[in-house]
Amino acid sequence: MKRAVALYFIVLFGAILLRVDYFPLSWVPMYGAREPAPNVIVKIGDKAEREAGFVAVRANGETVMVGPDDLNIPNANYRRLYNQRAFNNGPPQDDRERLALAPINRWWYETFVGPDPRLNKNYVGELLHSINATFGYGPADPRRIVRLEASLRYAEFHRSHLDQGDLSRPEIDRRTAIITETGAFIRKGDKLEPMPRGIDSKVGEIE
Amino acid sequence: MTRPAARSRSFVDRFLFDWFPADSLGAVRFYFGLGLAIYLFFQFDQNLKVDAFGAHFHFTRPIWYFWLLGIDSNVPWISFLVMPLLIAACLCFAFGKWTKSSIVVILLCIFYMKGVRDSFSGDVHHREIPIFALLILFLLSKCGRSFGIDARKHNWPAIEAWESSWPLRAMQIYIAFFYFWALVAKLRVSGLYWFSGGGRIQDTLISRAVRDGFTPTGDVVNLSMGWDLAHHPQAIWCIGVLVFMFELFFPVILFVRSWRIRLGMVVGATLFHLSNYFLMNVQFFLYPFVFVTFFDMATFHRWLKSKLRLTRLPSRRAPKRS
Repeated sequence: MKRAVALYFIVLFGAILLRVDYFPLSWVPMYGAREPAPNVIVKIGDKAEREAGFVAVRANGETVMVGPDDLNIPNANYRRLYNQRAFNNGPPQDDRERLALAPINRWWYETFVGPDPRLNKNYVGELLHSINATFGYGPADPRRIVRLEASLRYAEFHRSHLDQGDLSRPEIDRRTAIITETGAFIRKGDKLEPMPRGIDSKVGEIE
Repeated sequence: MTRPAARSRSFVDRFLFDWFPADSLGAVRFYFGLGLAIYLFFQFDQNLKVDAFGAHFHFTRPIWYFWLLGIDSNVPWISFLVMPLLIAACLCFAFGKWTKSSIVVILLCIFYMKGVRDSFSGDVHHREIPIFALLILFLLSKCGRSFGIDARKHNWPAIEAWESSWPLRAMQIYIAFFYFWALVAKLRVSGLYWFSGGGRIQDTLISRAVRDGFTPTGDVVNLSMGWDLAHHPQAIWCIGVLVFMFELFFPVILFVRSWRIRLGMVVGATLFHLSNYFLMNVQFFLYPFVFVTFFDMATFHRWLKSKLRLTRLPSRRAPKRS
């Protein structure tokens, strides 16, 4: 019996040592990571705007709204798609997976898992594919969605203000994620920038 | 057990096998099972907040076992069948009817419901991980041999104390170290920076509070307590220190014999989870039901029954007097 108990804990706690993060094993809580950054950037949601849906353009030029009821998914999941995936932000486990790796962890990930998921993020592509697949639109279907838009306000708090408990002076800007079949962009004011895809694209952003 | 025999037993033997009386395991199973039904319902009820016969959403990131099995979209009506099956299995488990089979059904249902919930957007939540680990221990133990319908029906002989003790002690180790490993993970990835200033706690308070925006009067739509607290970094730092101490020292509970002290510790842990929920919408608020594993629930059950009888007696006598 002692051997069975020992084996049980070797498996469960061994996964923690190796930083395995596949259910039913895990090494870290959801909020275990915090990276140094001069500012804290958060997204200010607008429930009404979000639930109105993504602004979607079909291949035939028609513009429609695609909301949680159309996709038939729970609101919490839809919020993640709208607030995070549309802005090419992945789930927390992708962000923390390769942080502060010990040699044994590096060996494990590079041998069995593959490259760092933050190196070439394509959450926007997955989102567009999912929406078209949900509606059953193939690549030649004129009804297929070829462009998605989601808008959010971003608030940037200076760390020095936060340390004084002053939350009254964030810099706020509105950003629109634009996802197309050929590429994704972010519109900030009048500027249109390519959607960040790299490892440093999310510094300071808190989900 | 004679004294010389007790002396000859190792620390591990005493730690694992000499902690609970024989009837505790079944009683813990009963209360754990009742809590489990409620806990899992609220974990997965969002799968039911869709049209059962509506669109089949194509998952953005299927969880690993869905990916292996080729499950790439949600068939919503299946969740409406799985949920009652899951709750029925939890109740069978609690009441000791087909106990082991019920555990297997619960595990399969968790795999399915979690897979659906976490594959929509790819965020794999951790709220079922400890439940899964504890259910495995129930499965390996003789938890159905007492305090249940099957045990009474088949008149099974009582299990021995050590058979009741080891699974409960293993559950306690897992639960206590769940917090400890959380601290290790924070320090491993972020070091003490996790706690510095308002720390990760302040960052999360802010991001969660503004997630649904502000009202026309300038108040946050949700989590106003969290937003208010985010204005007090010194207070948050103190809370961070409390979290550090709690996660570091919670495993001490494994060596505490006094049930009153253990009760105090799990009340503290419960406050931790409730605070996380009310301040940051972290959905572990019903998780404290697992703390039944830290107590001799058979004794509690007898106490509860005696209390309930005491409350009934006066009401029976009252009509006679009138």
